[in-house]
Amino acid sequence: MNSGEVKKIRDRFLKELEGSKSPSERKKICKRYIEEELSSVFCCLKDLSGENKAKVGKAANELRQMINEKMKESKESEETKEEWLDVTLPGKQPSFGGVHPLAKLQERCEEIFAKMGFISVEGPEMENEWYNFDALNFTPDHPVRDMQDTLFIKQKDREKLEAKDKLLMRTHTSPVQVRYMEKNEPPLRIIVLGRVFRNETTDSSHDINFHQLEGLMVGESISVANFRSVISFFFKELFEDSVEVRLRPSFFPFTEPSFEVDVSCTICNKKGCSVCQKTGWLEVVGAGMVHPNVLKSAGVDTERFNGFAFGVGLDRIAMVAQEIDSIRLFYSGDLRFLKQF
Amino acid sequence: MKFSYDFLQSFFEKKLLPTEELADLLMMHFFEVESVEKNGNDFVIDIDILPSRTADCFSHIGIAREISAITGMKHKEPTVKIKQGKEDISERIKVDVKGACNRYMLRAVKGVKIKESPEYIKNRLISCGLKPINNIVDITNYIMLETGQPLHAFDVKKIQGEKIIVRYAKKRERIVTLDEKKVDLEEDVLVIADESSPLGIAGIKGGVVPEIDKDTTEIYIESANFDSKTIRKGSQKTGIRTDASVRFEHGLPCEFAEIAMDRVVSLILENAGGEVMKGAVDYYPEKSRTEERKISVSIDKINSVLGVDIPLKKAEDTLRSLGFKIKREGKIFSATIPYFRPDVAIPEDLIEEVGRIYGYENIEPVPPKEVVIPQKESKTLKVKRTTRNILSGLGFFETYNYSFINQKKADFFNYENLTEMEKPVSLEFKYLRPSLIPNLLSNLSENEKNMADVKMFEVGKIFTNIKNKKGEKNSLGLVCSDGDFYKTKGEVDVLFKKISGKSVFYEKKEDESGFFKKGQLAKVLIEKEEAGFFGVASEKVKKEWKLKSNAVFGEFDLEKVINLYEEDKKYEQISKFPYSLFDVAVFVQEKTPYSEVLNKVKKTGGKYIKEVELFDVYQGEGVPENMKSFALRIYFQDKNKTLSSSKINELQKKVMTALDSVSEWKVRKK
Repeated sequence: MNSGEVKKIRDRFLKELEGSKSPSERKKICKRYIEEELSSVFCCLKDLSGENKAKVGKAANELRQMINEKMKESKESEETKEEWLDVTLPGKQPSFGGVHPLAKLQERCEEIFAKMGFISVEGPEMENEWYNFDALNFTPDHPVRDMQDTLFIKQKDREKLEAKDKLLMRTHTSPVQVRYMEKNEPPLRIIVLGRVFRNETTDSSHDINFHQLEGLMVGESISVANFRSVISFFFKELFEDSVEVRLRPSFFPFTEPSFEVDVSCTICNKKGCSVCQKTGWLEVVGAGMVHPNVLKSAGVDTERFNGFAFGVGLDRIAMVAQEIDSIRLFYSGDLRFLKQF
Repeated sequence: MKFSYDFLQSFFEKKLLPTEELADLLMMHFFEVESVEKNGNDFVIDIDILPSRTADCFSHIGIAREISAITGMKHKEPTVKIKQGKEDISERIKVDVKGACNRYMLRAVKGVKIKESPEYIKNRLISCGLKPINNIVDITNYIMLETGQPLHAFDVKKIQGEKIIVRYAKKRERIVTLDEKKVDLEEDVLVIADESSPLGIAGIKGGVVPEIDKDTTEIYIESANFDSKTIRKGSQKTGIRTDASVRFEHGLPCEFAEIAMDRVVSLILENAGGEVMKGAVDYYPEKSRTEERKISVSIDKINSVLGVDIPLKKAEDTLRSLGFKIKREGKIFSATIPYFRPDVAIPEDLIEEVGRIYGYENIEPVPPKEVVIPQKESKTLKVKRTTRNILSGLGFFETYNYSFINQKKADFFNYENLTEMEKPVSLEFKYLRPSLIPNLLSNLSENEKNMADVKMFEVGKIFTNIKNKKGEKNSLGLVCSDGDFYKTKGEVDVLFKKISGKSVFYEKKEDESGFFKKGQLAKVLIEKEEAGFFGVASEKVKKEWKLKSNAVFGEFDLEKVINLYEEDKKYEQISKFPYSLFDVAVFVQEKTPYSEVLNKVKKTGGKYIKEVELFDVYQGEGVPENMKSFALRIYFQDKNKTLSSSKINELQKKVMTALDSVSEWKVRKK
């Protein structure tokens, strides 16, 4: 053994290394040379003598150092190597369902009104005539009661019953106004989100049950200007900042003055389209200042307090916002519809 | 209600605004204009007159007054020109009113010539949807459109006797109406009759007998005020709805009768000639009792309610322009309500008048200054929201079904004491749902046609009827198509643990209904309270709903969950000391429930048991016949110190001995 032989080992190593294809292969080569070739050199070192021993020892040490360096390099390049993934392959789908679009909208309404201090409260879906009509200033036997196609509950000898025992499915969420005011002192701010019923033939915009958002604010010196501020904030939050809100006269037995609230059409931006029937405006809210008779039937001091109330068709809002063309889809239970939300 | 633009123009000297502009103004200050359509040289404006204004605005003069108040253009009230004859009507005819009539007027005109009406009358009638017939009939209709007061004309020669009677129909009485329809009258329908038979259905439709024809020369004109409820009922009973009945139903001021009578006579004399007899028969018992109605409101109240700053003078002018007579003392208006505005009764009504003419769109938004009193949200809403969020996270889709079920579903489930609806539009809505399950099964069945994996839930009201006491409560229903009882159980378990923060147990529920596979029904107990059930659908259910898969379905009482709901779950101190793991397998009888094994382990280990996991259930090689193996991983821990190895040994031995001590159980030796 002489230093020339060590050099041959070195050349062989470098050549092999050059021909290798991957860092892991290079690592294997390094390992083999250290464990096999070099160790045999070191083994026979003890049999050598003098000058030769020193030469061979030096060359072998140098070679070991070089191999170690190469090994380190290979390791590093192996660590940074890209492991190929197809990122466009579909991920492993977790099972995920969905909340009904109207429930989602309800939560959004609750959030927006909570910012203005309105709390969400509930009331029964099966009501009696007193809360649904009498307490809300609907005169008995007046055509106004026919404005709402009421779904009545079949009861024996119904005509003989008191208004509070005559049952029906609530035609609006307004009875909750009276129920809440009976139990709570003003000032108060509430919203009611719930299911209401009308006994009318169903079509793409009418269904036997649908949902309303009701609002009520009662306090000292509440004004139409206050109402306009509250309802504008709501629609700006719900739709977009640029949405416009306008009030025009209307009539409801339980408010005086009464308004119809229109919002500028979010689909065509007031240019006129099929959704807004070319008017540029969507009629979405019935509202007004609470009629003193309603406050009185709930036991509120009308000398001191007044307020405003409003009702919004939740289904219609969802239909406009999400471009849904039939109200019946909400109650269809069709997963092809529900899965989209 | 349809209005003729040309007719409206006739009340004004100056030219009205173009129709579109006029429609916009009416929309913003009065009521909604539904359409404007051309009719020859005229335009038809369709306005949605809401119930508060039907008395004065089912008429062109009413709309003209509105236009006048909104635009500031002066309108003129129609004029009357009557030259009376010498003969007094009271010598010719008497009126006998037997009920439901507030005022009844008759006048007589002799020597009229029946012919076609002038063009302008015919055109305006057509614009308003009425068919011209002859001058007398047309003029009565025309004055109804003008004043809002329905009128009727009879041919004098066709009336028997000397009396006009307003009475209820007799038993089995019949009438043939002007359009030659036979109508059977019920005893609460009001009629106008002569001494022998009915001449017309009061306020609803004239009879064919006293019809005006080309040979008519002498007429009586009726201008009356009938009780609105009676007319409404009569119209419903006879199924006849006319321009007259609609106006009476909504109620009219009695003053209208006289004003319209003067106008109709005046126009008949002008267009059909003849001579009007002296005076009028006028049954009007309440006349002496009608008095001027007044209400007071201050400008401060007006401005405070509207949230604006309208000058005193402007508010006063507005009210005057609408026909109110105003007396002002300082800041307070005392307004005398004109006879044609029966809807105005309280100060708020005056505020509305000022507000709408001022224009609601001119009221700038002002945030409320009223203090907000913070309120707590109800637990119900929180529970519903959390339920929705958890279940949707677990792969369920929320559905909203109708609150009703049909007869077929009611029969299948043998529901008793259902709450039935009165004349629902469809029999699909015959009963209020006593459970969410029937409609959810329909959802499953329908959706299986389109997809394989269906997991749905509904949160909604169900309706109860216990001992004739009707009620409602919040319920949660769910349905899955995969038929994997344990998977659904896991999901139900996550839901109730998360939502209640309490311990949740399951027990086998005996099912007598046959809606579940035998022995595959469980009840859920939250803190010992039964909160619902779920199980695998039986073949009977599968067949009825044509289900493709083995469904798992269940229903839970949300009211109970709401009662148990606690927002703040108590924190349990995390132990600083290590736990020790111990795996043990035990052979038990095939039908031994896991809960028995678990309870045994927990009871034996007591406070040292941190948790027990079941990691394998096995039957087969190595397990004796008719037995199964439960493999448990037990976590031992002491909250206060590190467990010594001798203590751990002791615990392990205790558990094994306890399990072994149960007859027919056997700890598996390693």
